[in-house]
Amino acid sequence: MHTLVNGYEENPQRITKADIVVGIPSYNEADGIAYPAARASEGLIQFFGNKSSVIINCDNDSQDGTKEAFFSTSTEVPKIYLSTPSGVRGKGNNLMNLFAKVHELGAQACVVVDADLKTITPRWIRSLGEPLFMDFGFVSPIYVRHKYDGTITNNIAYPLTRSVYGRRVRQPIGGEFGFSGDMVELFMNREYWNDEVAQFGIDIWMVTMAIAHDIPICQAFMGRPKVHRPKDPAAQLGPMFTQVVSTIFGLMGCYEDRWRQVKWSKPTAVFGFGLGEVEAPPAVAVDRDRLYERFMEGSEQFEAVWKKAMGPEVFEKLCEARDIGREYFDFPTQLWARILFDYAVAYQAPDTDRGLLLESLIPLYYGKVYSFVQRTANMSIQETEEYIEDRCLLYEEARPYLDDRWDARGGSDGQDSAG
Amino acid sequence: MAKILLVDDEEHIRLLYQEELAEEGYDVVTAATGYGLLDVISRERPDVVVLDIRLADHDGLELLQEIRNTYYDLPVILCSAYESFKKNLKAIAADAYVVKSSDLNPLKKAIQRAVEGRGVTGSKEGV
Repeated sequence: MHTLVNGYEENPQRITKADIVVGIPSYNEADGIAYPAARASEGLIQFFGNKSSVIINCDNDSQDGTKEAFFSTSTEVPKIYLSTPSGVRGKGNNLMNLFAKVHELGAQACVVVDADLKTITPRWIRSLGEPLFMDFGFVSPIYVRHKYDGTITNNIAYPLTRSVYGRRVRQPIGGEFGFSGDMVELFMNREYWNDEVAQFGIDIWMVTMAIAHDIPICQAFMGRPKVHRPKDPAAQLGPMFTQVVSTIFGLMGCYEDRWRQVKWSKPTAVFGFGLGEVEAPPAVAVDRDRLYERFMEGSEQFEAVWKKAMGPEVFEKLCEARDIGREYFDFPTQLWARILFDYAVAYQAPDTDRGLLLESLIPLYYGKVYSFVQRTANMSIQETEEYIEDRCLLYEEARPYLDDRWDARGGSDGQDSAG
Repeated sequence: MAKILLVDDEEHIRLLYQEELAEEGYDVVTAATGYGLLDVISRERPDVVVLDIRLADHDGLELLQEIRNTYYDLPVILCSAYESFKKNLKAIAADAYVVKSSDLNPLKKAIQRAVEGRGVTGSKEGV
Protein backbone atom coordinates (compact mmCIF):
# COMPACT_ATOMS: atom_id res chain seq x y z
CA MET A 1 0.00 0.00 0.00
CA HIS A 2 1.12 3.49 -0.84
CA THR A 3 1.29 6.47 1.47
CA LEU A 4 1.77 10.13 0.67
CA VAL A 5 4.55 10.59 -1.91
CA ASN A 6 6.95 12.21 0.54
CA GLY A 7 4.93 15.32 0.08
CA TYR A 8 3.24 17.43 2.69
CA GLU A 9 -0.21 17.96 4.08
CA GLU A 10 -2.03 20.83 5.70
CA ASN A 11 -5.08 19.78 7.68
CA PRO A 12 -5.93 22.81 9.79
CA GLN A 13 -9.21 21.37 11.05
CA ARG A 14 -7.55 18.07 11.96
CA ILE A 15 -10.02 15.96 10.00
CA THR A 16 -9.44 12.25 10.67
CA LYS A 17 -12.59 10.68 9.25
CA ALA A 18 -15.01 11.33 6.40
CA ASP A 19 -17.76 9.41 4.64
CA ILE A 20 -17.34 11.25 1.36
CA VAL A 21 -14.46 13.24 -0.11
CA VAL A 22 -14.31 15.66 -3.02
CA GLY A 23 -10.82 15.81 -4.52
CA ILE A 24 -9.58 18.65 -6.70
CA PRO A 25 -6.23 17.92 -8.39
CA SER A 26 -4.31 21.00 -9.45
CA TYR A 27 -1.14 22.60 -10.63
CA ASN A 28 -1.04 26.39 -10.68
CA GLU A 29 -4.81 26.85 -10.51
CA ALA A 30 -4.96 29.82 -8.15
CA ASP A 31 -7.29 31.65 -10.54
CA GLY A 32 -9.78 28.82 -10.90
CA ILE A 33 -9.87 26.57 -7.84
CA ALA A 34 -12.19 28.69 -5.70
CA TYR A 35 -15.17 28.07 -7.97
CA PRO A 36 -15.18 24.24 -7.97
CA ALA A 37 -14.25 24.22 -4.26
CA ALA A 38 -17.26 26.39 -3.39
CA ARG A 39 -19.66 24.35 -5.57
CA ALA A 40 -18.29 21.12 -4.09
CA SER A 41 -19.03 22.37 -0.59
CA GLU A 42 -22.58 23.34 -1.58
CA GLY A 43 -23.13 19.95 -3.18
CA LEU A 44 -21.83 18.06 -0.16
CA ILE A 45 -24.04 20.04 2.22
CA GLN A 46 -27.12 19.91 0.00
CA PHE A 47 -27.02 16.25 -1.03
CA PHE A 48 -24.83 14.52 1.52
CA GLY A 49 -25.67 16.59 4.58
CA ASN A 50 -26.15 13.50 6.71
CA LYS A 51 -22.62 12.30 6.03
CA SER A 52 -19.27 13.63 7.15
CA SER A 53 -17.33 15.17 4.29
CA VAL A 54 -14.13 16.97 3.37
CA ILE A 55 -12.74 18.72 0.31
CA ILE A 56 -9.14 17.90 -0.57
CA ASN A 57 -6.96 19.90 -2.91
CA CYS A 58 -4.25 17.52 -4.15
CA ASP A 59 -1.63 19.75 -5.68
CA ASN A 60 1.79 19.69 -7.33
CA ASP A 61 3.35 22.21 -4.96
CA SER A 62 2.02 25.13 -7.03
CA GLN A 63 3.86 28.38 -6.53
CA ASP A 64 1.09 30.62 -7.86
CA GLY A 65 -0.94 30.66 -4.64
CA THR A 66 -3.23 27.72 -5.38
CA LYS A 67 -3.10 26.55 -1.77
CA GLU A 68 -3.88 30.01 -0.43
CA ALA A 69 -6.76 30.44 -2.92
CA PHE A 70 -8.13 27.05 -1.90
CA PHE A 71 -8.01 27.75 1.83
CA SER A 72 -9.37 31.27 1.48
CA THR A 73 -12.47 29.97 -0.32
CA SER A 74 -15.40 30.17 2.05
CA THR A 75 -16.89 26.69 2.49
CA GLU A 76 -19.01 24.99 5.11
CA VAL A 77 -17.16 21.75 4.49
CA PRO A 78 -13.66 21.44 5.99
CA LYS A 79 -10.66 21.39 3.71
CA ILE A 80 -7.34 19.56 3.49
CA TYR A 81 -4.39 20.42 1.27
CA LEU A 82 -2.01 17.75 0.01
CA SER A 83 1.03 18.27 -2.15
CA THR A 84 3.63 16.22 -3.93
CA PRO A 85 7.21 17.23 -3.08
CA SER A 86 8.66 20.25 -4.80
CA GLY A 87 9.43 19.39 -8.42
CA VAL A 88 7.22 16.32 -8.56
CA ARG A 89 4.48 16.95 -11.11
CA GLY A 90 1.63 14.95 -12.52
CA LYS A 91 -2.10 14.53 -12.07
CA GLY A 92 -1.56 10.84 -11.40
CA ASN A 93 0.82 11.62 -8.55
CA ASN A 94 -1.74 14.01 -7.12
CA LEU A 95 -4.43 11.38 -7.28
CA MET A 96 -2.20 8.74 -5.71
CA ASN A 97 -1.85 11.11 -2.77
CA LEU A 98 -5.62 11.54 -2.77
CA PHE A 99 -6.15 7.75 -2.79
CA ALA A 100 -3.91 7.41 0.25
CA LYS A 101 -5.78 10.13 2.11
CA VAL A 102 -9.22 8.79 1.18
CA HIS A 103 -8.12 5.40 2.47
CA GLU A 104 -6.77 6.93 5.68
CA LEU A 105 -10.04 8.80 6.25
CA GLY A 106 -12.02 5.61 5.70
CA ALA A 107 -14.25 7.28 3.13
CA GLN A 108 -16.88 5.25 1.30
CA ALA A 109 -16.92 7.54 -1.69
CA CYS A 110 -14.70 10.05 -3.45
CA VAL A 111 -15.64 12.48 -6.20
CA VAL A 112 -12.94 14.19 -8.27
CA VAL A 113 -13.46 17.38 -10.24
CA ASP A 114 -11.04 19.46 -12.29
CA ALA A 115 -9.74 22.70 -10.83
CA ASP A 116 -10.39 24.71 -14.01
CA LEU A 117 -14.10 23.91 -14.22
CA LYS A 118 -16.34 26.86 -14.94
CA THR A 119 -19.72 25.14 -15.13
CA ILE A 120 -19.74 22.76 -12.18
CA THR A 121 -22.91 22.88 -10.10
CA PRO A 122 -23.64 21.30 -6.70
CA ARG A 123 -25.64 18.65 -8.58
CA TRP A 124 -22.45 17.39 -10.19
CA ILE A 125 -21.31 16.24 -6.74
CA ARG A 126 -24.59 14.43 -6.28
CA SER A 127 -24.51 12.82 -9.74
CA LEU A 128 -20.95 11.57 -9.33
CA GLY A 129 -21.31 10.63 -5.65
CA GLU A 130 -24.75 9.11 -5.20
CA PRO A 131 -24.21 5.98 -7.34
CA LEU A 132 -21.24 5.13 -5.11
CA PHE A 133 -23.69 4.58 -2.26
CA MET A 134 -25.76 2.31 -4.56
CA ASP A 135 -23.10 -0.36 -5.09
CA PHE A 136 -21.45 1.19 -8.12
CA GLY A 137 -17.66 1.23 -7.82
CA PHE A 138 -16.78 3.81 -10.45
CA VAL A 139 -18.72 6.72 -11.91
CA SER A 140 -17.81 8.45 -15.15
CA PRO A 141 -19.47 11.64 -16.38
CA ILE A 142 -21.69 12.30 -19.36
CA TYR A 143 -21.85 15.90 -20.37
CA VAL A 144 -22.36 17.76 -23.57
CA ARG A 145 -19.09 18.99 -25.00
CA HIS A 146 -18.50 21.01 -28.12
CA LYS A 147 -17.81 18.72 -31.06
CA TYR A 148 -14.19 19.90 -31.23
CA ASP A 149 -13.57 19.73 -27.49
CA GLY A 150 -12.23 16.33 -26.49
CA THR A 151 -10.77 15.16 -29.79
CA ILE A 152 -8.50 12.63 -28.05
CA THR A 153 -11.60 11.27 -26.32
CA ASN A 154 -13.65 11.12 -29.50
CA ASN A 155 -11.01 9.70 -31.81
CA ILE A 156 -8.93 7.51 -29.51
CA ALA A 157 -9.88 6.99 -25.86
CA TYR A 158 -13.61 6.32 -26.26
CA PRO A 159 -13.56 4.17 -29.40
CA LEU A 160 -10.52 2.17 -28.25
CA THR A 161 -11.90 1.51 -24.76
CA ARG A 162 -15.20 0.52 -26.30
CA SER A 163 -13.86 -1.72 -29.05
CA VAL A 164 -11.05 -3.32 -27.03
CA TYR A 165 -12.63 -3.80 -23.61
CA GLY A 166 -16.25 -3.92 -24.75
CA ARG A 167 -17.59 -1.29 -22.37
CA ARG A 168 -19.06 2.00 -23.61
CA VAL A 169 -17.77 4.72 -21.30
CA ARG A 170 -18.35 7.93 -23.24
CA GLN A 171 -15.96 10.21 -21.32
CA PRO A 172 -13.16 7.96 -20.09
CA ILE A 173 -10.74 10.88 -19.72
CA GLY A 174 -13.25 13.57 -18.87
CA GLY A 175 -11.50 14.73 -15.72
CA GLU A 176 -14.50 14.28 -13.41
CA PHE A 177 -15.33 10.93 -11.83
CA GLY A 178 -16.28 9.16 -8.66
CA PHE A 179 -14.92 6.01 -7.07
CA SER A 180 -15.75 3.95 -4.02
CA GLY A 181 -13.58 3.21 -1.01
CA ASP A 182 -13.12 -0.33 -2.33
CA MET A 183 -11.76 1.03 -5.59
CA VAL A 184 -9.21 3.07 -3.65
CA GLU A 185 -7.65 -0.11 -2.35
CA LEU A 186 -7.43 -1.44 -5.90
CA PHE A 187 -5.84 1.80 -7.11
CA MET A 188 -3.35 1.80 -4.24
CA ASN A 189 -2.01 -1.57 -5.35
CA ARG A 190 -0.51 0.41 -8.24
CA GLU A 191 -1.12 -2.31 -10.78
CA TYR A 192 0.74 -1.35 -13.97
CA TRP A 193 1.60 2.05 -12.57
CA ASN A 194 4.27 3.96 -14.50
CA ASP A 195 5.46 7.47 -15.34
CA GLU A 196 2.70 8.04 -17.91
CA VAL A 197 -0.02 6.97 -15.48
CA ALA A 198 1.50 9.29 -12.89
CA GLN A 199 0.82 12.16 -15.31
CA PHE A 200 -2.22 12.43 -17.61
CA GLY A 201 -2.52 8.67 -18.10
CA ILE A 202 -4.30 8.45 -14.75
CA ASP A 203 -7.87 8.92 -16.01
CA ILE A 204 -7.77 6.15 -18.59
CA TRP A 205 -5.82 3.97 -16.14
CA MET A 206 -8.60 4.23 -13.58
CA VAL A 207 -11.36 3.50 -16.09
CA THR A 208 -9.45 0.56 -17.53
CA MET A 209 -8.76 -0.80 -14.05
CA ALA A 210 -12.46 -0.60 -13.25
CA ILE A 211 -13.43 -2.40 -16.46
CA ALA A 212 -10.68 -5.00 -16.22
CA HIS A 213 -11.56 -5.84 -12.62
CA ASP A 214 -15.30 -6.10 -13.39
CA ILE A 215 -16.15 -3.19 -11.14
CA PRO A 216 -19.74 -1.99 -11.68
CA ILE A 217 -19.44 1.26 -13.64
CA CYS A 218 -22.09 3.91 -13.98
CA GLN A 219 -22.22 7.03 -16.11
CA ALA A 220 -23.57 10.14 -14.45
CA PHE A 221 -25.49 12.66 -16.52
CA MET A 222 -24.26 16.09 -15.50
CA GLY A 223 -26.84 18.30 -17.22
CA ARG A 224 -24.62 21.29 -17.82
CA PRO A 225 -21.88 21.17 -20.44
CA LYS A 226 -18.28 20.92 -19.35
CA VAL A 227 -16.69 24.30 -19.76
CA HIS A 228 -13.04 24.61 -18.89
CA ARG A 229 -10.04 26.02 -20.66
CA PRO A 230 -10.73 24.83 -24.21
CA LYS A 231 -7.80 23.82 -26.35
CA ASP A 232 -7.46 24.01 -30.10
CA PRO A 233 -6.40 20.43 -30.88
CA ALA A 234 -4.05 21.71 -33.57
CA ALA A 235 -2.25 24.11 -31.27
CA GLN A 236 -1.97 22.59 -27.82
CA LEU A 237 -1.68 18.83 -27.95
CA GLY A 238 1.11 18.74 -25.43
CA PRO A 239 2.29 15.68 -23.51
CA MET A 240 -1.25 14.57 -22.71
CA PHE A 241 -1.57 12.78 -26.03
CA THR A 242 1.43 10.50 -25.60
CA GLN A 243 0.68 9.89 -21.91
CA VAL A 244 -2.89 8.83 -22.60
CA VAL A 245 -2.11 6.75 -25.67
CA SER A 246 0.90 5.13 -24.07
CA THR A 247 -1.23 4.16 -21.08
CA ILE A 248 -3.92 2.66 -23.31
CA PHE A 249 -1.41 0.63 -25.33
CA GLY A 250 0.50 -0.44 -22.23
CA LEU A 251 -2.62 -1.63 -20.46
CA MET A 252 -3.64 -3.62 -23.53
CA GLY A 253 -0.51 -5.68 -23.00
CA CYS A 254 -1.28 -6.10 -19.30
CA TYR A 255 -4.94 -7.01 -19.68
CA GLU A 256 -4.67 -9.14 -22.81
CA ASP A 257 -6.43 -12.07 -21.18
CA ARG A 258 -9.34 -9.82 -20.33
CA TRP A 259 -9.99 -8.04 -23.61
CA ARG A 260 -9.30 -10.99 -25.89
CA GLN A 261 -12.63 -12.45 -24.72
CA VAL A 262 -14.58 -9.41 -25.92
CA LYS A 263 -16.46 -9.45 -29.21
CA TRP A 264 -18.89 -6.55 -29.08
CA SER A 265 -19.39 -3.63 -26.73
CA LYS A 266 -21.98 -3.25 -24.02
CA PRO A 267 -23.57 -0.06 -22.72
CA THR A 268 -23.00 1.34 -19.27
CA ALA A 269 -25.75 2.21 -16.81
CA VAL A 270 -26.71 5.89 -16.68
CA PHE A 271 -27.62 7.85 -13.58
CA GLY A 272 -29.04 11.32 -13.10
CA PHE A 273 -31.50 12.13 -15.84
CA GLY A 274 -34.21 14.68 -15.29
CA LEU A 275 -31.98 17.67 -14.77
CA GLY A 276 -33.90 19.81 -17.21
CA GLU A 277 -32.78 21.37 -20.47
CA VAL A 278 -29.25 20.68 -21.60
CA GLU A 279 -27.22 23.81 -22.24
CA ALA A 280 -25.11 24.21 -25.34
CA PRO A 281 -21.36 24.43 -24.73
CA PRO A 282 -19.30 27.30 -26.14
CA ALA A 283 -17.60 26.77 -29.47
CA VAL A 284 -14.01 25.55 -29.72
CA ALA A 285 -11.97 26.98 -32.57
CA VAL A 286 -9.90 24.66 -34.73
CA ASP A 287 -7.11 25.64 -37.09
CA ARG A 288 -7.79 23.27 -39.99
CA ASP A 289 -4.84 24.47 -42.08
CA ARG A 290 -2.47 23.66 -39.27
CA LEU A 291 -3.96 20.18 -38.75
CA TYR A 292 -3.49 19.28 -42.40
CA GLU A 293 -0.01 20.79 -42.56
CA ARG A 294 1.08 18.81 -39.51
CA PHE A 295 -0.23 15.61 -41.04
CA MET A 296 1.70 16.20 -44.26
CA GLU A 297 4.86 17.27 -42.45
CA GLY A 298 4.67 14.15 -40.33
CA SER A 299 4.27 12.06 -43.44
CA GLU A 300 7.67 13.22 -44.66
CA GLN A 301 9.28 12.79 -41.26
CA PHE A 302 7.83 9.46 -40.17
CA GLU A 303 6.94 7.51 -43.29
CA ALA A 304 9.53 4.84 -42.52
CA VAL A 305 8.19 4.40 -38.99
CA TRP A 306 4.63 4.24 -40.27
CA LYS A 307 5.56 1.58 -42.79
CA LYS A 308 7.23 -0.53 -40.15
CA ALA A 309 4.44 -0.18 -37.61
CA MET A 310 1.50 -0.85 -39.90
CA GLY A 311 0.35 -3.89 -41.77
CA PRO A 312 1.23 -3.56 -45.48
CA GLU A 313 -2.35 -3.13 -46.65
CA VAL A 314 -3.03 -0.51 -44.03
CA PHE A 315 0.08 1.43 -44.97
CA GLU A 316 -0.91 1.26 -48.62
CA LYS A 317 -4.38 2.61 -47.84
CA LEU A 318 -2.86 5.40 -45.78
CA CYS A 319 -0.60 6.45 -48.65
CA GLU A 320 -3.59 6.37 -50.97
CA ALA A 321 -5.55 8.67 -48.65
CA ARG A 322 -2.58 11.01 -48.23
CA ASP A 323 -1.81 11.25 -51.94
CA ILE A 324 -5.35 12.14 -52.89
CA GLY A 325 -4.65 15.78 -52.02
CA ARG A 326 -6.23 18.20 -49.60
CA GLU A 327 -9.33 18.99 -51.66
CA TYR A 328 -10.56 15.40 -51.45
CA PHE A 329 -8.69 14.29 -48.35
CA ASP A 330 -10.53 11.93 -46.06
CA PHE A 331 -9.20 9.69 -43.31
CA PRO A 332 -11.63 6.74 -43.23
CA THR A 333 -12.46 5.53 -39.74
CA GLN A 334 -11.89 1.91 -40.79
CA LEU A 335 -8.33 2.89 -41.71
CA TRP A 336 -7.77 4.91 -38.54
CA ALA A 337 -9.04 2.04 -36.39
CA ARG A 338 -6.63 -0.39 -38.04
CA ILE A 339 -3.76 2.07 -37.62
CA LEU A 340 -4.48 2.36 -33.91
CA PHE A 341 -4.64 -1.42 -33.63
CA ASP A 342 -1.35 -1.75 -35.54
CA TYR A 343 0.26 0.78 -33.22
CA ALA A 344 -1.05 -1.03 -30.16
CA VAL A 345 0.58 -4.21 -31.44
CA ALA A 346 3.84 -2.47 -32.38
CA TYR A 347 3.96 -0.89 -28.91
CA GLN A 348 4.22 -4.34 -27.32
CA ALA A 349 7.37 -5.43 -29.18
CA PRO A 350 10.40 -5.39 -26.87
CA ASP A 351 12.65 -3.72 -29.45
CA THR A 352 10.22 -0.88 -30.17
CA ASP A 353 11.36 2.68 -29.59
CA ARG A 354 8.08 3.61 -27.94
CA GLY A 355 8.86 7.31 -27.82
CA LEU A 356 9.45 7.39 -31.57
CA LEU A 357 6.42 5.23 -32.22
CA LEU A 358 4.10 7.53 -30.28
CA GLU A 359 5.69 10.63 -31.82
CA SER A 360 4.96 9.20 -35.25
CA LEU A 361 1.29 8.69 -34.33
CA ILE A 362 0.77 12.40 -33.63
CA PRO A 363 0.67 13.55 -37.29
CA LEU A 364 -1.66 10.67 -38.11
CA TYR A 365 -3.90 11.86 -35.30
CA TYR A 366 -3.80 15.37 -36.75
CA GLY A 367 -4.82 13.93 -40.11
CA LYS A 368 -7.70 12.07 -38.51
CA VAL A 369 -8.85 15.14 -36.57
CA TYR A 370 -8.69 17.23 -39.76
CA SER A 371 -10.88 14.69 -41.50
CA PHE A 372 -13.24 14.58 -38.49
CA VAL A 373 -13.55 18.37 -38.52
CA GLN A 374 -14.25 18.40 -42.25
CA ARG A 375 -16.88 15.68 -41.97
CA THR A 376 -18.68 17.26 -39.04
CA ALA A 377 -18.32 20.91 -40.05
CA ASN A 378 -22.01 21.34 -40.79
CA MET A 379 -23.28 19.01 -38.11
CA SER A 380 -24.86 20.04 -34.84
CA ILE A 381 -23.36 18.75 -31.60
CA GLN A 382 -26.07 16.09 -31.45
CA GLU A 383 -25.49 15.02 -35.04
CA THR A 384 -21.77 14.81 -34.34
CA GLU A 385 -22.51 12.65 -31.32
CA GLU A 386 -24.52 10.26 -33.47
CA TYR A 387 -21.74 10.30 -36.05
CA ILE A 388 -19.19 9.32 -33.38
CA GLU A 389 -21.44 6.51 -32.14
CA ASP A 390 -21.89 5.21 -35.68
CA ARG A 391 -18.13 5.38 -36.31
CA CYS A 392 -17.49 3.40 -33.14
CA LEU A 393 -19.23 0.43 -34.72
CA LEU A 394 -16.53 0.48 -37.39
CA TYR A 395 -13.86 0.09 -34.71
CA GLU A 396 -15.77 -2.86 -33.31
CA GLU A 397 -16.10 -4.38 -36.77
CA ALA A 398 -12.34 -3.97 -37.20
CA ARG A 399 -11.63 -5.94 -34.01
CA PRO A 400 -10.78 -9.18 -35.87
CA TYR A 401 -7.91 -7.26 -37.47
CA LEU A 402 -6.54 -6.43 -34.03
CA ASP A 403 -6.91 -10.03 -32.92
CA ASP A 404 -5.12 -11.31 -36.02
CA ARG A 405 -2.28 -8.82 -35.69
CA TRP A 406 -1.98 -9.48 -31.97
CA ASP A 407 -1.71 -13.21 -32.61
CA ALA A 408 0.88 -12.67 -35.33
CA ARG A 409 3.13 -10.35 -33.34
CA GLY A 410 6.63 -11.55 -32.77
CA GLY A 411 6.67 -13.14 -36.24
CA SER A 412 9.51 -12.73 -38.72
CA ASP A 413 7.81 -10.41 -41.19
CA GLY A 414 9.52 -7.37 -39.75
CA GLN A 415 6.22 -5.58 -39.12
CA ASP A 416 6.29 -5.73 -35.38
CA SER A 417 8.09 -2.67 -34.20
CA ALA A 418 8.66 0.92 -35.03
CA GLY A 419 12.38 0.40 -34.64
CA MET B 1 -30.70 -21.58 -27.51
CA ALA B 2 -30.78 -17.91 -26.59
CA LYS B 3 -34.06 -16.58 -25.22
CA ILE B 4 -35.43 -13.27 -26.51
CA LEU B 5 -38.04 -11.25 -24.64
CA LEU B 6 -39.93 -9.10 -27.13
CA VAL B 7 -41.89 -6.19 -25.65
CA ASP B 8 -44.23 -4.48 -28.11
CA ASP B 9 -47.83 -3.36 -27.83
CA GLU B 10 -48.65 -4.11 -31.47
CA GLU B 11 -49.81 -7.67 -31.91
CA HIS B 12 -48.83 -8.03 -35.56
CA ILE B 13 -45.29 -6.89 -34.74
CA ARG B 14 -45.05 -9.45 -31.96
CA LEU B 15 -46.28 -12.21 -34.26
CA LEU B 16 -44.00 -11.23 -37.14
CA TYR B 17 -40.89 -10.86 -35.01
CA GLN B 18 -41.64 -14.01 -33.03
CA GLU B 19 -41.91 -16.04 -36.22
CA GLU B 20 -38.82 -14.55 -37.84
CA LEU B 21 -36.65 -14.83 -34.74
CA ALA B 22 -37.83 -18.38 -34.03
CA GLU B 23 -36.71 -19.28 -37.55
CA GLU B 24 -33.29 -17.97 -36.61
CA GLY B 25 -33.22 -20.45 -33.76
CA TYR B 26 -34.17 -18.18 -30.87
CA ASP B 27 -36.60 -19.02 -28.13
CA VAL B 28 -38.97 -16.03 -28.18
CA VAL B 29 -41.32 -14.91 -25.44
CA THR B 30 -43.44 -11.79 -25.77
CA ALA B 31 -45.03 -9.12 -23.63
CA ALA B 32 -47.62 -6.60 -24.79
CA THR B 33 -47.20 -4.21 -21.92
CA GLY B 34 -44.59 -2.60 -19.73
CA TYR B 35 -46.49 -3.42 -16.57
CA GLY B 36 -44.61 -5.90 -14.43
CA LEU B 37 -41.77 -6.08 -16.94
CA LEU B 38 -39.12 -6.59 -14.27
CA ASP B 39 -41.15 -9.54 -12.94
CA VAL B 40 -41.37 -10.99 -16.44
CA ILE B 41 -37.60 -10.65 -16.81
CA SER B 42 -37.09 -12.25 -13.42
CA ARG B 43 -39.34 -15.15 -14.36
CA GLU B 44 -38.26 -15.71 -17.96
CA ARG B 45 -34.53 -14.92 -17.59
CA PRO B 46 -34.12 -13.76 -21.20
CA ASP B 47 -30.70 -13.39 -22.80
CA VAL B 48 -31.82 -10.31 -24.71
CA VAL B 49 -34.74 -7.88 -24.39
CA VAL B 50 -36.11 -6.23 -27.53
CA LEU B 51 -38.01 -3.20 -26.29
CA ASP B 52 -40.40 -0.91 -28.12
CA ILE B 53 -40.17 2.74 -27.07
CA ARG B 54 -43.73 3.95 -27.65
CA LEU B 55 -45.69 1.43 -25.66
CA ALA B 56 -49.32 2.22 -25.02
CA ASP B 57 -48.85 2.19 -21.26
CA HIS B 58 -45.17 2.97 -20.75
CA ASP B 59 -42.23 4.95 -22.03
CA GLY B 60 -39.67 2.41 -23.24
CA LEU B 61 -36.79 4.71 -22.33
CA GLU B 62 -37.99 4.82 -18.73
CA LEU B 63 -38.32 1.05 -18.75
CA LEU B 64 -34.78 0.81 -20.06
CA GLN B 65 -33.53 2.73 -17.03
CA GLU B 66 -35.47 0.44 -14.69
CA ILE B 67 -34.07 -2.63 -16.39
CA ARG B 68 -30.54 -1.25 -16.33
CA ASN B 69 -30.76 -0.39 -12.64
CA THR B 70 -31.77 -3.94 -11.80
CA TYR B 71 -30.07 -6.04 -14.47
CA TYR B 72 -26.80 -4.23 -15.04
CA ASP B 73 -25.60 -6.26 -18.01
CA LEU B 74 -28.78 -7.62 -19.55
CA PRO B 75 -28.67 -6.72 -23.26
CA VAL B 76 -31.53 -4.43 -24.26
CA ILE B 77 -32.21 -3.49 -27.86
CA LEU B 78 -34.48 -0.52 -28.42
CA CYS B 79 -36.74 -1.06 -31.40
CA SER B 80 -38.82 1.85 -32.56
CA ALA B 81 -40.58 3.14 -35.62
CA TYR B 82 -39.09 6.52 -34.80
CA GLU B 83 -35.42 7.24 -35.47
CA SER B 84 -35.74 10.48 -33.52
CA PHE B 85 -35.63 8.79 -30.10
CA LYS B 86 -32.04 7.88 -30.85
CA LYS B 87 -31.26 11.53 -30.04
CA ASN B 88 -32.52 11.06 -26.49
CA LEU B 89 -29.54 10.65 -24.18
CA LYS B 90 -31.40 7.97 -22.26
CA ALA B 91 -31.09 5.72 -25.30
CA ILE B 92 -27.34 5.32 -24.71
CA ALA B 93 -28.06 2.82 -21.97
CA ALA B 94 -29.30 0.42 -24.66
CA ASP B 95 -27.05 -2.09 -26.35
CA ALA B 96 -28.40 -1.09 -29.74
CA TYR B 97 -31.08 1.03 -31.37
CA VAL B 98 -32.93 -0.42 -34.33
CA VAL B 99 -35.51 1.35 -36.45
CA LYS B 100 -38.47 -0.87 -37.30
CA SER B 101 -38.71 -1.81 -40.94
CA SER B 102 -39.75 -4.69 -43.16
CA ASP B 103 -36.08 -5.67 -43.28
CA LEU B 104 -35.42 -7.48 -40.02
CA ASN B 105 -31.73 -8.00 -40.71
CA PRO B 106 -30.53 -5.01 -38.60
CA LEU B 107 -32.52 -6.36 -35.65
CA LYS B 108 -31.21 -9.89 -36.18
CA LYS B 109 -27.65 -8.55 -36.40
CA ALA B 110 -28.10 -6.54 -33.20
CA ILE B 111 -29.50 -9.59 -31.39
CA GLN B 112 -26.65 -11.76 -32.61
CA ARG B 113 -24.09 -9.24 -31.34
CA ALA B 114 -25.86 -8.95 -28.01
CA VAL B 115 -25.93 -12.72 -27.58
CA GLU B 116 -22.27 -13.04 -28.57
CA GLY B 117 -21.30 -10.28 -26.17
CA ARG B 118 -23.09 -11.66 -23.13
CA GLY B 119 -21.18 -12.71 -20.11
CA VAL B 120 -17.81 -11.20 -20.95
CA THR B 121 -18.12 -8.00 -18.99
CA GLY B 122 -18.81 -7.06 -15.41
CA SER B 123 -21.81 -7.63 -13.24
CA LYS B 124 -23.39 -5.65 -10.45
CA GLU B 125 -24.44 -7.84 -7.63
CA GLY B 126 -27.20 -6.88 -5.29
CA VAL B 127 -29.12 -4.55 -7.54
